[in-house]
Amino acid sequence: MKHLEDELRNAMRREEPPEGFAERVLAQAAATKQSVWAGAFAWRRLRWALAGALCLALVVAGIEYRQAQEERARGEAAKEQLMLALRITAGKLQFVQSKIQLHAGPWIYRDQTKEN
Amino acid sequence: MANTTAIGTIAHDLPDFPEVVRTHQGRVFSIAYHFLHDRAVAEEIAQDVFLQLYRTLPSLESEAHVTAWLRKVTSHRCIDYARRRRPDLALHEIPEPASETMPGDPLMARRLRRMVASLPPKARIVVVLRYQEELEPEEIAGMLGWRLNTVKSQLQRSLAMLREKLGRTLGEVKS
Repeated sequence: MKHLEDELRNAMRREEPPEGFAERVLAQAAATKQSVWAGAFAWRRLRWALAGALCLALVVAGIEYRQAQEERARGEAAKEQLMLALRITAGKLQFVQSKIQLHAGPWIYRDQTKEN
Repeated sequence: MANTTAIGTIAHDLPDFPEVVRTHQGRVFSIAYHFLHDRAVAEEIAQDVFLQLYRTLPSLESEAHVTAWLRKVTSHRCIDYARRRRPDLALHEIPEPASETMPGDPLMARRLRRMVASLPPKARIVVVLRYQEELEPEEIAGMLGWRLNTVKSQLQRSLAMLREKLGRTLGEVKS
């Protein structure tokens, strides 16, 4: 038993890896790091692009909203002016009508009785 | 204290990554080589283990932690590789290793290596960790997450199988 275990220890002695093993591992690790950085850089660029697109969309939406607001304000002002003009006109007409009724009231009555 | 290296920053008082690779390359390569008995595959697995270590190193706390981590990850990688590859090889399918200089009986050592490589994966890794890394069964059980009795029985069965195979081989040589 002891003999076999000693033989196993002898057989299982450490082996050195092939020449240049450590250098190959370090080169691969460096390449991995570069690819990680490249990925991070690409992600950072994508984030900037997304942020830019979002800003542009916000600016366009803001301009559109402002134009719509101005349009509506102009419409409201025009409506107000029209209403004012109509009110003035109605007032004038009412004034004229009352004047006409005041001065022509009896003749209108007389003419109506003639017709009857 | 942070330790800045050419290819990374490592926390704590660990040596930098290149030094870790140079210190442990023999350990990692040997576990894989004694398990698989194939230098090319052993090198490939050892490289993968060190690249994984490169990403994990900042979270490791001490030299002992690094050693334990390397043993554990290499062992699991070897077992996974053996399971994926194909069923256990018969002894005659194990390639003869390249000639190496070693003290003791080189022929016996070579035979034993081939025999170890023909053991089932679990038994094989237990033998490698016991006789290459000089770990106690308790340490092997803790490292691989197996029950102590499993490790002990694997070890006893492996030794019995090796003794039997060795006896048969020596008998064939004598006759």
